Amino acid sequence: MGASVMIWFQVLASGLSLSGYYALLSLGFALIFSTFNIFHIAHAAVFGAAGYIFFGLTRSLAWNPWAAGTVAVLGAAVFGWFIDLLLYRPILRRGGGMFSVFIASLGLTLIFEAVVLALTGGSLSVAREGALQLVEFGSVAIRLYDIAIVLIVGVLYGLAYLWVMRTRTGMAIRALSNNEGLARVVGVNTMRTRHSVFLVASALAGVAGVFTAFDSGITPTAGTQVLFIIFVAVLVGGSVNIFLGALVGSLLMGIVTAVAGFINPQWVSVCVFGILILLLIFRPRGLLA
Amino acid sequence: MDYYFFVMTVICIWIMVSLATNMVIGYAGLFSMGHVTYMAVGAYTSAVLNILYGVNYMVTIPIAILATAVFAFLTYLPLMRLAAFPFGLATLGMNVVIVDLIHIAAPRVPGSEGLFGMKTPEFMASGPWRFVFVAVLTVLCVALVRHVLNSPFGRTLRAIRDKPEAAEAAGKDPRWYRTVIWTLSGAVAGLAGALYATTLFYIDPTVFVVAFSFNVLVYIGVGGLASILGSVLGPLLLITFSESLRFAGLPSDISGPVQQIVYGALLIVLMMFRRRGLVGNYEFKD
Repeated sequence: MGASVMIWFQVLASGLSLSGYYALLSLGFALIFSTFNIFHIAHAAVFGAAGYIFFGLTRSLAWNPWAAGTVAVLGAAVFGWFIDLLLYRPILRRGGGMFSVFIASLGLTLIFEAVVLALTGGSLSVAREGALQLVEFGSVAIRLYDIAIVLIVGVLYGLAYLWVMRTRTGMAIRALSNNEGLARVVGVNTMRTRHSVFLVASALAGVAGVFTAFDSGITPTAGTQVLFIIFVAVLVGGSVNIFLGALVGSLLMGIVTAVAGFINPQWVSVCVFGILILLLIFRPRGLLA
Repeated sequence: MDYYFFVMTVICIWIMVSLATNMVIGYAGLFSMGHVTYMAVGAYTSAVLNILYGVNYMVTIPIAILATAVFAFLTYLPLMRLAAFPFGLATLGMNVVIVDLIHIAAPRVPGSEGLFGMKTPEFMASGPWRFVFVAVLTVLCVALVRHVLNSPFGRTLRAIRDKPEAAEAAGKDPRWYRTVIWTLSGAVAGLAGALYATTLFYIDPTVFVVAFSFNVLVYIGVGGLASILGSVLGPLLLITFSESLRFAGLPSDISGPVQQIVYGALLIVLMMFRRRGLVGNYEFKD
């Protein structure tokens, strides 16, 4: 096998692990949007917060990565939950609409970015030290880490699917995203569902944040950049089936951003935007619609 | 003293961009998060023609306005298919992409990242006269936009924003009205860009990053949606505030984050307590 073919296999592998991060983020984003109609930009801040908690605990306090990862994911879950509790709900209570929530979400993200920028000076924060172990398949070497990511994401994704399809809370989520008014009338507990959705979606974003901070590193604006890719991934998938949609969209975006990033990192945003434009022209309701 | 004139010129330019953004957000309900894109197109059109092709600056201004209007029209065609939130995020994406595209492909003065050395008419060489020139154009711009928005066209636009179905039933095509106001708004932003290129003396992609589009959102959020006065008050108050941070002696690596934290907090406080801003006539209800 030629050397160039090998390199492309490695790009594909890193694209698959990128797809994994995207899938976790877009699933949470799509869950919140389809259930409560909230366009949760601050999902980017939740992702970033987990990454920075993980980075701080492992590098400054020399914690074990598993313990640090658990704390970071829990921190992200609580952060996301607080955003809804202390920001979105008060606005809605005061008569604001989803649009006001959207702007406030943007405001919070700006504050988060600025605080992190002031604290870190804006440099790239990578939690791991040294290179990662490789596994070889014939002449193709793939990082063990990328394989682990795909497996972990697969398990989490499966659990989330079971949660939405097989539990009482999941039934409430499906009811709310289908018809909120009707769901309330038949006695779906909106508040409790809200707690669960924000906690779970934020924990998933937290996992993606930890993985990103561990491997490729995190910057103050990393979350916002990823959020734009996530948004395109969710649009690509469409809203018919959010599990399948988020997965298909994330796979496409993961591979596209990995290939574009490998050729020239400056083209990543152009490619993502190009996909958005093509989608809007040819399949405005998503690939699966 | 020259520095005060520089700041006042910059305020005038951001008033134009705020006005352009308020035209589409406040009056047409089209949530643009990336209007600095159009400013960039205007600035680069004017600077490239003037510096690299030696076109008279006064001639490049109308060309920049026209080019930006056409660009705004073309970008609106795919954007118009999106619902409110995706529309906002897509315009933000457009801003990110234009910055990257300028990085990759825009012409530059050899040995630098951007463009400098604009040849302007002699009267614009002094700060005070450049301010007068920009201020006069700003006043003309405000008057023109006011005229358009108070005309039957502007009334129909507001009707479409509030009750699209009713306006359509009365035989008004929302798509046509929205496309026209978006194109006009692009033209205003293009003019602001062309003026910005001479005011700054040096432009590169970092002058047009998304953060500035967010600033514009804060300007009109504070000033007030669907209000000409709001579009003027917002940048006036907030840029004065940012400049006073500089005068208070904060180093730029502190004052940058401080400004962003204040702007973010302003957005949150506005959405909690005063969604109309200072003198606004509209708030998003859905």
